[in-house]
Amino acid sequence: MTSTRSATLFAFALLAPALIYILTIVAYPLLDTFILSFTNASLRQDYDFVGWANYLRIFGAGNFTDVIIRTFVWTFFSVSIKMIIGMCGAVLLNAAIPGQTLFRVLTMPPWIVPMAIGIFMWGWMYNGQFGMISGLLQNFGIVNGPVAWLAYGNTAFWATIITDVWIGVPMVTIYFLAAMQSIPKDLYEAAWTDGAGRGYRFRRITLPLMVPAIITMSLLSLIATFNSFDIIWILTQGGPSGSTTTMIIDTYKTAMGSRKYGEGAARAVVICIFVSLFCLAYFRAVRKLSQGEAK
Amino acid sequence: MSQLSLKRLEKSFNEARIIKGIDLEVAEGEFVVFVGPSGCGKSTLLRMIAGLEDVTQGQIEIGGKVVNDLPPVERGIAMVFQSYALYPHMSVYENIAFPLRVEKLPQAEVDKRVGAAAKVLQLESRLQHRPGQLSGGQRQRVAIGRAIVRQPKIFLFDEPLSNLDAALRSEMRIELMELHKRLGSTMIYVTHDQIEAMTMADKIVVLNAGEISQVGSPLDLYHKPDNLFVAGFIGSPKMNFINGKVRSADGSTVAVDLGSLGMLRLPRTSTAVAGQDVTVGIRPEHMSLGEGEFTIETVPNIVEHLGIHTIAYSTLPGGEAFIGLFEGNPEIADGKPLRVSFSVADAHLFDARGLAVY
Repeated sequence: MTSTRSATLFAFALLAPALIYILTIVAYPLLDTFILSFTNASLRQDYDFVGWANYLRIFGAGNFTDVIIRTFVWTFFSVSIKMIIGMCGAVLLNAAIPGQTLFRVLTMPPWIVPMAIGIFMWGWMYNGQFGMISGLLQNFGIVNGPVAWLAYGNTAFWATIITDVWIGVPMVTIYFLAAMQSIPKDLYEAAWTDGAGRGYRFRRITLPLMVPAIITMSLLSLIATFNSFDIIWILTQGGPSGSTTTMIIDTYKTAMGSRKYGEGAARAVVICIFVSLFCLAYFRAVRKLSQGEAK
Repeated sequence: MSQLSLKRLEKSFNEARIIKGIDLEVAEGEFVVFVGPSGCGKSTLLRMIAGLEDVTQGQIEIGGKVVNDLPPVERGIAMVFQSYALYPHMSVYENIAFPLRVEKLPQAEVDKRVGAAAKVLQLESRLQHRPGQLSGGQRQRVAIGRAIVRQPKIFLFDEPLSNLDAALRSEMRIELMELHKRLGSTMIYVTHDQIEAMTMADKIVVLNAGEISQVGSPLDLYHKPDNLFVAGFIGSPKMNFINGKVRSADGSTVAVDLGSLGMLRLPRTSTAVAGQDVTVGIRPEHMSLGEGEFTIETVPNIVEHLGIHTIAYSTLPGGEAFIGLFEGNPEIADGKPLRVSFSVADAHLFDARGLAVY
């Protein structure tokens, strides 16, 4: 009995540093934000509890609902494009082509370059006067004059997505490539012996066996993209006229720009709920997939 | 007419020559086993026949047609892989049906062929299971089922039993032999296990370092090995080799000086071996206890009592390892001197190049 108890205590002692760290860095701010979301905290020293007022305001005013919808659309396109390009990239990198290693290395820069530098580079590329994209399109006669891609709502929305895709694709590609390479070569040889062509093998062997990797990557990418802040903030700061304002940008603007901490906290809580739901879906999928494997 | 014919077949990977000019004829309905140690090129040879490896030089003919440049599916072969290569996400039914789906056969035909294969392989109750839910032997059968439904001219097996435990392996060995009888198809089977080779084959092809060492029936190879390699490879425990020197070869008898063991006189007509350093081979199971035509005195250092027979391991004065296998449970103990003998007719003689002398 005594030895069991000392073993338990020892386990807690080992866990204590991590536990203290998590409580301080994660749990306390989370709880504080939650409490703050029911107050009218601002730059003033004192604040009052206002009940559900913040939540009623953000959902009642209409604006935040638009932001939520925009965030989901932005995330949906960004994640979908990343998955499609990542899969195509993995297929190409997995093919027995000369210079395979070089191509694999060449996929990495967007991931290796510090994110802010990459985003600034895109910012310049989107620039109407000096930007490469506008310049090239003018040279080819596709557009008549300079196009400032970040100056219009529609183009800015897609420009931020393209940059997010550029940064996110290498990880998806490498992850898919790893998953693809873990599929035994024998399966392809057996299928080839049975007369299955490249497309058939991809459809009936590669793709179904990649499903766990696709689900896992989609959910991880969904969580990261949903919370993507730096790209939009550096490129457009949510503009023009809010056309690239996603939930995380809106929260930052409310809390830090307008100093409405209480309202910002309520927005943060809503984000937290959405992300928690994604995480829940992710863990469920992982559990289901590992159960499937065990079978 | 032979169904498969290999002509001066060669395979190189960069500078390394893996298959070095193989000529082989396989008749229709034959069960041919490629056997040899790891790295001898047996799997590569099988994969070349399957069309999974390019041919560097030479020709592969199936049914009289050169197939060097044909994809596997057009060669009329079906292959069973060492790992079974089952699709883990498909049911047993879909695994077996895979080649038929590729061919886009109508569902009724697929049902018929999969049903027939499942019946032959006793997999009927398992058709809706996933490969992961099956035992090793059942997975093996699914892999065979996938080969059967294609109704190939030639079945290729790449070490199909090597992932199974000993008991299941002997069970599956019998099943495969029955299957061969039932289907009557040509089967080419790769293994490094000489027991599988001996028990299953109509014809064994012994490969060594990319070349054929000998082709023949199992008993041919056992009784008349062409060279030291085959003599040592076929038979378990392996043949004893004793080094000696030929003192005289008069056209009817070869006298071999075995040093302190004495002079062994073997009935051989060859005179070419006179004066050569030679090797005498004698199988452990051809040794008897007590005096005989040629008697050796040894001291076993390890004795294995297996019930059905007893195996004694010792070292000869010349340093060669020496094994004796005796029926039943004779009173042999390690460290106790033992007189064993063999009949001159059972002895094999190999010249300085390692080739059999008759």
